[in-house]
Amino acid sequence: MEKAKTHIDYQDAVITLRGVSKSFGENHVLKNVDLDLYRGENLVVLGRSGTGKSVLIKLIAGLLKPDNGTIDVLGISVNDLRDHDLMKLRLKIGFSFQNSALYDSMTVRENLEFPLIRNKRNLTRTEINKEVEDVLEGVGLSQAINQMPSELSGGQRKRIGIARTLILRPDIMMYDEPTAGLDPITCLDINSLINEVQLRYKTSSIIITHDLACARSVGDRIVMLLDGKFERQGSFKEIFETNDARVKAFYDYNFIV
Amino acid sequence: MLNKLRSFFTEFANIHRFLLRFWRELVTPPYEFKEIIRQCFEIGWKSLPLISVTGFIVGFVFTKQSRPSLEEFGATSWLPSLISIAIVRALAPLVTALIASGKIGSQVGAELSSMNVTEQIDAMEVSGTNPFKFLIVSRIIATTISIPILTFYVAGIGLLGGYLSLASKDDLSFLSFFTQVFETIGYQDLWAMVFRAVVFGFTIGAVSCYCGYYSSKGTEGVGKAANAAVVASMFLVFIEEIIIVQILAIIN
Amino acid sequence: MSKAENKRAVIVGLFVFIGLAILIAGIFILGSQQKKFTKTFEITTSFPDVAGLKVGSNVWFSGVKVGIIKNIHFKNLQDVEVVMTIEEKSAEYIRKDAITKLGSDGLIGNKIIVISGGSQNAPSIEANDFLRSAKAADMEAMMETLQLNNQNLAKITTDFVEISRGLVEGRGVVGSLLTDTALVSSLQQSLRSISQVMASANTATSNLVLLTDKLNSKKGLVHDLATDTAVFASLRSSAAQLQGVSQTANALMTNLNAASNKLNNKDNAIGTLINDPTVGNELREVVRNLNTSTAKLDQNMEALQSNFLLRGFFKKKEKETKKANQQALKDSIQ
Repeated sequence: MEKAKTHIDYQDAVITLRGVSKSFGENHVLKNVDLDLYRGENLVVLGRSGTGKSVLIKLIAGLLKPDNGTIDVLGISVNDLRDHDLMKLRLKIGFSFQNSALYDSMTVRENLEFPLIRNKRNLTRTEINKEVEDVLEGVGLSQAINQMPSELSGGQRKRIGIARTLILRPDIMMYDEPTAGLDPITCLDINSLINEVQLRYKTSSIIITHDLACARSVGDRIVMLLDGKFERQGSFKEIFETNDARVKAFYDYNFIV
Repeated sequence: MLNKLRSFFTEFANIHRFLLRFWRELVTPPYEFKEIIRQCFEIGWKSLPLISVTGFIVGFVFTKQSRPSLEEFGATSWLPSLISIAIVRALAPLVTALIASGKIGSQVGAELSSMNVTEQIDAMEVSGTNPFKFLIVSRIIATTISIPILTFYVAGIGLLGGYLSLASKDDLSFLSFFTQVFETIGYQDLWAMVFRAVVFGFTIGAVSCYCGYYSSKGTEGVGKAANAAVVASMFLVFIEEIIIVQILAIIN
Repeated sequence: MSKAENKRAVIVGLFVFIGLAILIAGIFILGSQQKKFTKTFEITTSFPDVAGLKVGSNVWFSGVKVGIIKNIHFKNLQDVEVVMTIEEKSAEYIRKDAITKLGSDGLIGNKIIVISGGSQNAPSIEANDFLRSAKAADMEAMMETLQLNNQNLAKITTDFVEISRGLVEGRGVVGSLLTDTALVSSLQQSLRSISQVMASANTATSNLVLLTDKLNSKKGLVHDLATDTAVFASLRSSAAQLQGVSQTANALMTNLNAASNKLNNKDNAIGTLINDPTVGNELREVVRNLNTSTAKLDQNMEALQSNFLLRGFFKKKEKETKKANQQALKDSIQ
């Protein structure tokens, strides 16, 4: 299933990484990497678990500081940003976490309201309700509004997680393993949701995954993270037309059945 | 051995940084009043039944058990004084702190560490909310307020329990019991009780939050964090009790 | 703010409020018991030895707590000065000449200061007054007093021994009273006659009461008699006779009084009585006189009863009592 073509502006990089390194003790997760995310693009970062894919997006969000190199987001350098400005910048970035990261102690409605209430304090109650209902409608889960996260399935939680980030209308989306732990049918739903978001909200996205099916259906461009470096870039086809055993192994593993 | 020593001091540095950050976040806006109230509700109000029952039982049983030894000297008339000294000076803050360590420590430790494990804290941070302020500062303030309040309840209910235990054997009026109770204690005892309770409350809050907030990833981390929160806060409460008793002895 | 949040805020507010209320109630009860919130002023006293008195101990006046010890310090080589705060409202009852003592509020209790004494017309204490202290009622002082008591008791018993020996040997009035049997028997006789007279006088007067009742009730024979002026005159003479009898009795009593006065006479100290046998003889005379006079009184009373005018009344009364007795007998049989 190939995805529909979207408008990508290759002149406008919303995220730029230059010479970024990050290590945890002896574990060198990123070794002097460069990366660009262009406006309107869905960039898939493929890699095996534990290769530091999540570290990449945490660096971009300023949750972690790089050991070396510069990270620019929307033209602002994240490295030496003050807390307050970093907070503001983050509002332009939406995060979908691997485990959805819904607040367990709140209902779906409260989860969705949370970023709104805390960041846009001048909104009225009706405006908030309307936003919540709209965005919930967008992910197709209007009926779950008063449920607790624990009552939802993994796929539903994922959708709510995405909805929660969309409520702030971000320019950039980060998906951390959007299909991990979900059955194949639900995976397809999530993939189409990611594409839908790209179309409707005009977002530029980084999707981190090890799921090739997902990568193929959502990715405009794919990079492979191997041993702390981005080894290959290009479309899905271009990536796997290679004799590199490490890339082959990845491909074989995913389509072994 | 060297590694252990190093990790011990690293831990110490982390705690130091944690506390410094707490004070910094405490005084800088925005202030999370609503969340503080919510946490007072979760931590204080929801612990009230358990802690009240414990306080009553402590007062009742302590009186009952003290009676025979005083009876030997024919000094049962001293029971109200004994109860009042025991409860106000020692038992009320200590019992409250220990019960709260168990209940609040495990609750906060598990809650925060599971939020940490499931990336809820990260999610909060990237959605424009300072999780330290929202989660940690509000909880530590809530325990620092709630535990003294709970201590007052325990003192009141414990004295009531002591009275009921006394009244079941002696014909002692409520008024004369309370007159005797307040004859034995002084202002310094009351202030010491408040001071102790505030210190214990802060300790329990800070320890539980620290253990939960910096828990290791994975579901195992949740259990470890909850356990560490309870053990560490109980241990620290005892250490602080010893120090406070020494300080009070010097002051008086 | 949502509804749930509102409710939570209210509950938390209530929770904190009640908790603080408990604390504040504690502070106020403590305050009222330690008298921190009542108006007070300071007075001082000093003791050579305060026996472990502590700052914060109570001050009692008439067993009521009126203040606390505020400060204890050495004044000079012999004295320890104690500063007390006294409630203003109790101060008006404490006089300037009141005395302080050390005491304790129980057998092994805390040391306290007890204020006592003070005269009615002395003024009340004022701020910064100094009260004198008295030595505490300690064990030593108590033993000293006891010793003195013992010595006095010993002296008294020696005196008693002296007196009782005199009595046994029949010296003095009391002695001869105890040893002279003749005197005793005549004394007994006279006492018996007196009681006889008294009995007769008793019946006579009670009869008289009855008679006057009847007179007032305007019926019966006696009423008729009373309304008749002739009878009334003779009645008056008999009443005069009765008066004479009572006058004699009166005189007798005066005699008796005089005699006993002589016994009580303070000039005749008990020592002289004991050593003067003539007084004993006089007493014997008095008793004999008493005997004869009471015999005369007896005769008088009998004469009164047999007086013709009153005889009828007495007879009637006898009948009535008989009747009443018979009635009572009947009632009891039935």
